[in-house]
Amino acid sequence: MKKHVLALGLCAAMAAGSLAGCSSDKAPASGDTAASAEDSAKDTASGAGSGDEGAAAEELEGSLVFAIWDNNLMDYIDENDMVGKFQEKYPNAEIEVEKIKDDSEYWNAMKMRTSANQLPDVMFNKPFTLSRFKDYLLDLSDLDAAKNNELAAGYAIDGKILGVPMTAGYEYVFYWKDMFEEAGVEVPTTWEDFKTVAQTLQDYYGKDNPDFMAVALGAKDEWPDYPYMEFMPALQGGNGQNWNDMAKTDAPFAEGTDIQKAYQKVYDLFSMDVFGKDPLGMGNDQVTSLFAQKQAAILALGDWGLQNIQNGTDDYSQLGTFYLPVRDSESDPFRVIVQGDSFMGVTTHSKNPELAKAFVEWFYSEDWYPGYINYVTSASSMTSFPKEKDPILAESDAQQPDMELVMYDGGGDDFQAIQNEIAFDYKKLGAQMFTDGFDLTTELNALNEKWAAARAKLGIQ
Amino acid sequence: MKSLEKQKRIFIVVSLVVPMALLVGFVVFPAVDLIRMSFTDWDGYSASWNWIKLDNYISMFRNENLWLSLKNNAVYFFGHLIFIPVELMFAVLLTSKLRAAKFYKTMVFMPYIINGVAIAYAFSYFFSPVNGAFNAVLSVLHLDFLIRNWLSDEKIVNEVLTFVSLWRFSGYHVILFMAALQSLPQDVQEAAQVDGATTWQLFKYIQIPAIMLMVDFVLFDNIRGALQVFDIPFVMTSGGPGYASSTFTLYTIDTAFKYSNFGLASTMAVAIMVMIVVIYVVQNKIIHGVVLRRDKE
Repeated sequence: MKKHVLALGLCAAMAAGSLAGCSSDKAPASGDTAASAEDSAKDTASGAGSGDEGAAAEELEGSLVFAIWDNNLMDYIDENDMVGKFQEKYPNAEIEVEKIKDDSEYWNAMKMRTSANQLPDVMFNKPFTLSRFKDYLLDLSDLDAAKNNELAAGYAIDGKILGVPMTAGYEYVFYWKDMFEEAGVEVPTTWEDFKTVAQTLQDYYGKDNPDFMAVALGAKDEWPDYPYMEFMPALQGGNGQNWNDMAKTDAPFAEGTDIQKAYQKVYDLFSMDVFGKDPLGMGNDQVTSLFAQKQAAILALGDWGLQNIQNGTDDYSQLGTFYLPVRDSESDPFRVIVQGDSFMGVTTHSKNPELAKAFVEWFYSEDWYPGYINYVTSASSMTSFPKEKDPILAESDAQQPDMELVMYDGGGDDFQAIQNEIAFDYKKLGAQMFTDGFDLTTELNALNEKWAAARAKLGIQ
Repeated sequence: MKSLEKQKRIFIVVSLVVPMALLVGFVVFPAVDLIRMSFTDWDGYSASWNWIKLDNYISMFRNENLWLSLKNNAVYFFGHLIFIPVELMFAVLLTSKLRAAKFYKTMVFMPYIINGVAIAYAFSYFFSPVNGAFNAVLSVLHLDFLIRNWLSDEKIVNEVLTFVSLWRFSGYHVILFMAALQSLPQDVQEAAQVDGATTWQLFKYIQIPAIMLMVDFVLFDNIRGALQVFDIPFVMTSGGPGYASSTFTLYTIDTAFKYSNFGLASTMAVAIMVMIVVIYVVQNKIIHGVVLRRDKE
């Protein structure tokens, strides 16, 4: 019997081995590697941008791993032979482009590779991951790519620019103009307007079509509620540092705080019957496809969503956009989120940091960046290569000429430590708002308690 | 002759050392390291970590959502457990002289060889509230009153996901049972038939006892599978709404990767190991000690 149990234990251990396999006893060594790579980068930094540029380019040699998750970027790289073009300038360089399925999988892979000292030479970050990987990214402040980027300096950590944003990300509400016109509603400019418009559309189209959604939201995937759950607290008070400020207090969800007000608004909206018969039963792909077929009138997504919508329909002549109106009244400022997206950085694990920096510089140069930024619907982040917005997206700007931009920060170390400690997932919280028996006040009170306990445990002041 | 003896010894040593080294390297060492990590606060990527004694274990036992997730695992466990007799019946049926048996065998096994994520993705469309095939079938059959929010109703979502899991894995169990049944000596069964044994008696007194080892394996596989189910809820519901369809493994993976708490996630992985062993031992005691003994008596 003992042998039997031992054998079972081994079987179970094998099943659990996959998780343990992600760890490494050698983790402490990464600090040394980081230091040596940093030194190496400093030693060779003088090479870039000085002396004969052509000769310097030929001197740089080695191989790079460039890890990405973005499908549009991958397509553009394939179609335009990025590696070949880079090699025209740097003939002794090799680049391996590593495509990872999506950004969630990307962060998982990067975390595992961090512990194994095997980060790619060049990686991307989001605003909320910059802080997590800050110890493994080189300072790019000296690069022209960083100097010419209008957002990079705003995301510097301890004065170091650890990533150069590839695009400037704006959030939009996509809508069908003809459907608005037929239902007799106009583009909303306050939160109350937005709710009224949604209800009117639902009443108008829903009476003949039980599947109709005034507002499309694939809450089954949870993340698609981010325009509401992630950005609205920052828009409510015009504070892009909202997450970081929350980490400084014991009761950030208390009555009257930005996040409480914002989530109350979201809860009010999500409690209305304007999301179709079962928003929790559908994912983002499904609702985007239904929106493209005019089975829904409104869809809040980032600028990247435009391509997905256009792919789902032949006729998008009636497609329009407006910014999500979070304000309470016309007299309040109209705030719009802007964030750097896809921060390209050079990792401390790179064996060829100078070549990696040269690649970043090249990527944001006229040899590559203008073509790419015109290929995607996102806005340019480079002052040296401004881009006209897509006419559909530009409509939002025309409607709100006096808008106030709020530069969004995804949250620093303290916020993320508390978030991890109490497993605070605002996107999941948003999806839970659709469930029966959900009580926002109870949830926020519970979060306050956990938040205060986590701050005390982690010693965060 | 000496050379042959030497080669034989080398072969035996290599045959023992290589698998043992692989076992130690890829199973024993990771398991020991997993247990070590379960006493730390390692975040999965930082260079440093601290020993935190039993904090992770205390935190795990106090985590309501984790235990809700484990309760969801129980739905998969009992769903598959109840289905095992049906799988056995299918196996017996397909082993008998059935017309087009090969076609049925292929059809039964097919779901198991299809990519699990693809299956989950396809079923999420199948159960979609808008343009979903399942609701359409119910409508055609004039059974509209049965239409539910299949993937968002907390009361039924786990049963729906268990159905998908059954669809995918039952064929695997059927094939295992068939392999065991086909290995039975025909003469014993024929002798029993000559003596007048009915099909049921043949099944109960000859086939079942003879394939008990395979039944044991399937029961163990059921426990392991039920506790480690991940891809189906991950793709079909993301564990939602809330944690209504989350599973122990899904929660463990979220703890490790979403919340960067590898220490706590390791503790959960250790808990899964322990649970698999304990549940198997208890189940074995019940089946061998109570059910089969009663049958023998």
